[in-house]
Amino acid sequence: MSADETPTFEAALKQLEEIVQRLEKGELPLEESLVLYEQGIKLSRLCHGKLEEAEGRIELLMKDARGDLMTDEAGKPRKTPFGQ
Amino acid sequence: MEQKGLDFGEKARVLPGKRRALSVTELTDRLQGVLETEFFDVWVEGEISNLNQASSGHWYFSLKDDRAQIRAVVWKTAARLIKWKPKDGMRVLARGGIKVYAPRGDYQISVEVLEPLGVGSLQQAFEELKEKLAKEGLFDPAKKRPLPMLPRCIGIVTSPTGAVIQDILRVLQRRYANLGVLIYPARVQGPEAAYEIVQGIRALNRFKSVDVLMVARGGGSLEDLWPFNDEMVARALATSRIPTLSAVGHETDFTIADFVADLRAPTPSAGAERVVQAKEDMAARIDALTHRLDAAARIRLQRTRARVDAVRSHRVFEAERGRLRTYAQRVDDLSRRAETGVRRRLEQAGERRRRGTERLEAFRWDRLAAARRERIDGDARRLSEALRGRLRAHRADLARAVGKLESLSPLAVLQRGYALVFDERGTLVQRADQVAAGDVIDVRLHEGALRARVTPPGKADE
Repeated sequence: MSADETPTFEAALKQLEEIVQRLEKGELPLEESLVLYEQGIKLSRLCHGKLEEAEGRIELLMKDARGDLMTDEAGKPRKTPFGQ
Repeated sequence: MEQKGLDFGEKARVLPGKRRALSVTELTDRLQGVLETEFFDVWVEGEISNLNQASSGHWYFSLKDDRAQIRAVVWKTAARLIKWKPKDGMRVLARGGIKVYAPRGDYQISVEVLEPLGVGSLQQAFEELKEKLAKEGLFDPAKKRPLPMLPRCIGIVTSPTGAVIQDILRVLQRRYANLGVLIYPARVQGPEAAYEIVQGIRALNRFKSVDVLMVARGGGSLEDLWPFNDEMVARALATSRIPTLSAVGHETDFTIADFVADLRAPTPSAGAERVVQAKEDMAARIDALTHRLDAAARIRLQRTRARVDAVRSHRVFEAERGRLRTYAQRVDDLSRRAETGVRRRLEQAGERRRRGTERLEAFRWDRLAAARRERIDGDARRLSEALRGRLRAHRADLARAVGKLESLSPLAVLQRGYALVFDERGTLVQRADQVAAGDVIDVRLHEGALRARVTPPGKADE
C-alpha cells in the first residue's frame, strides 16, 4: 500500500533470490560478496518479518433487512468483528 | 477376519524371467484393491433389469445398457431412503461404489443413491451446463490463476452460522493468525442462495485488500449444493478480479463452481489449508534461500582462504589475512543470527506439530491417523535433525576456518622487523635480479608501507 523505502514482500523475495544466484556463481570479489551476503541476510529477515506482519482481523460484512450491504456515513460497507 | 493369502513362500512358482505366478487370492486381492479404490464413488446411468426386492429388505438387480451390464445391490439401509418404486425397464441414475466378491470372483455396484431419470433431472441439467460452459472456455486450465504468493486478506462467501465457517477459521487461526478475513454472509442453500453468492463475489471484489476469494459450503445432497451449480454463480466466479477458490461439499462432490474457480478444494477446511499453505511454503522458501546464501558466502570465503594457504610461504597476505578474519567473523555473526531465526522456526514447527498431535488425539482418530501422525513426527524429527546437523556442520566449518587463519600469522614475521618488497606489478621480490636500477618498489613494513626507487648496486652489503 505505502510507497516507502522498505520493499514489498514479493520484491524482497525476488531480490533475495537474485542475491543468492549471484553469490552462487562465485565470480564476485570477496568484499562485494560479503556486502551482498549482508544484504541477503537483511532481506531474509525482512521477508520472515513480512510473513508475520499485518493485523489479521476477522470481520463480517453487515446486511440490512433487505439483504443489501449496510454502509457508514462515508458510504463504506460496515463491518463487525466476527468471533469464533 | 480370514487370513488373506499373502504367504506364498514355498508354493510360489518362479517362472522364467524371474516372474512369480500369483495365487488366485492374490490376484483377486489386487483386483479388489484397484476396483474398490478407483470406483469407490461413481455415478452410473442405465436400465434396471431382473429386479428382486427380497424380503430381507435388500434389492438386487442388474443395470444395463445396450452393450453391457453390471450387477447391483441396494442394501436395506440405503433402500429405506429411496422414496420411489423402481421397476424393471426403468432408466435410473445410480451412485455407489464397486465391491468385489472374492469367493465368486465377481463384482457389483453397491448403490447408495438411486434416482429415476426423467425430465428436469438435476444431474442432467448439471451436465448440460457443464458442457456449455466448457465450450465457452470457462474451465480452461490456461485461465486458472495461481493464488497469491502470500495472501493478506481472504474474502469468504458463506453462511456465517454453522460449522463450516468455524472449521475454516479454526484452520486459519491456527496456522495463519495474521491473515485478514472478510466474510460476506450468504445463504448457501435454497432458492435465494445463488443470487446471494453472486452478490457476495461481486461485493468482495470491490475490496482492494482482499486478495483471495473463497466460496464455501459444507456437504449435502445434490439439491443442497445446487446453488453452486448455478450459471450466474459460475459467471461471477469467472469474472472475479480476485483469484477464486471453491470449497464446496465433500471430497466426492463436484460442482460447476469447482470447475470455474481458479482452484478447487475438496472441503472447506481443505480450502483454508490451501491458503495457509501459501504462508508456510513461503517460510520454507525463505529458509532455503537463507541456507543457500549462507553456503555461498562460506564457499566464497573458503576459496579465498585456499588462495591464502597456497601462497602462505610468501607470507605476503598479512593484510588480506586480517580482512579475511573480519569477513569470517561477519559471516559467523550473521549466520549465528540467521541460525537463531531458523531455531525459532524449528521451535514453531515443533509447536505446530505438538498442537497438531493434540488435535489428532482429541479427534480420537483410528489407527490410520496414528500411523500418519507417526510418519509426520518422523518427518519433522528428521527434518529438524537434518537442519540442526547442517547448522552444526556450518559452524564447525567456520570455526576450523578461523582457527586455520590464526595459525598462519605472517604478521609476526613483520613484527620482528622484516619487510616485504613488491615490484610495480605487485609481485613479491625475492631475488635482486627481479628488479633493475630505476625501478619503483613497494616496501611493506609491520606498520605502513614505503615506495622507493632502486639505485644501482655496488655498495651492496655483501
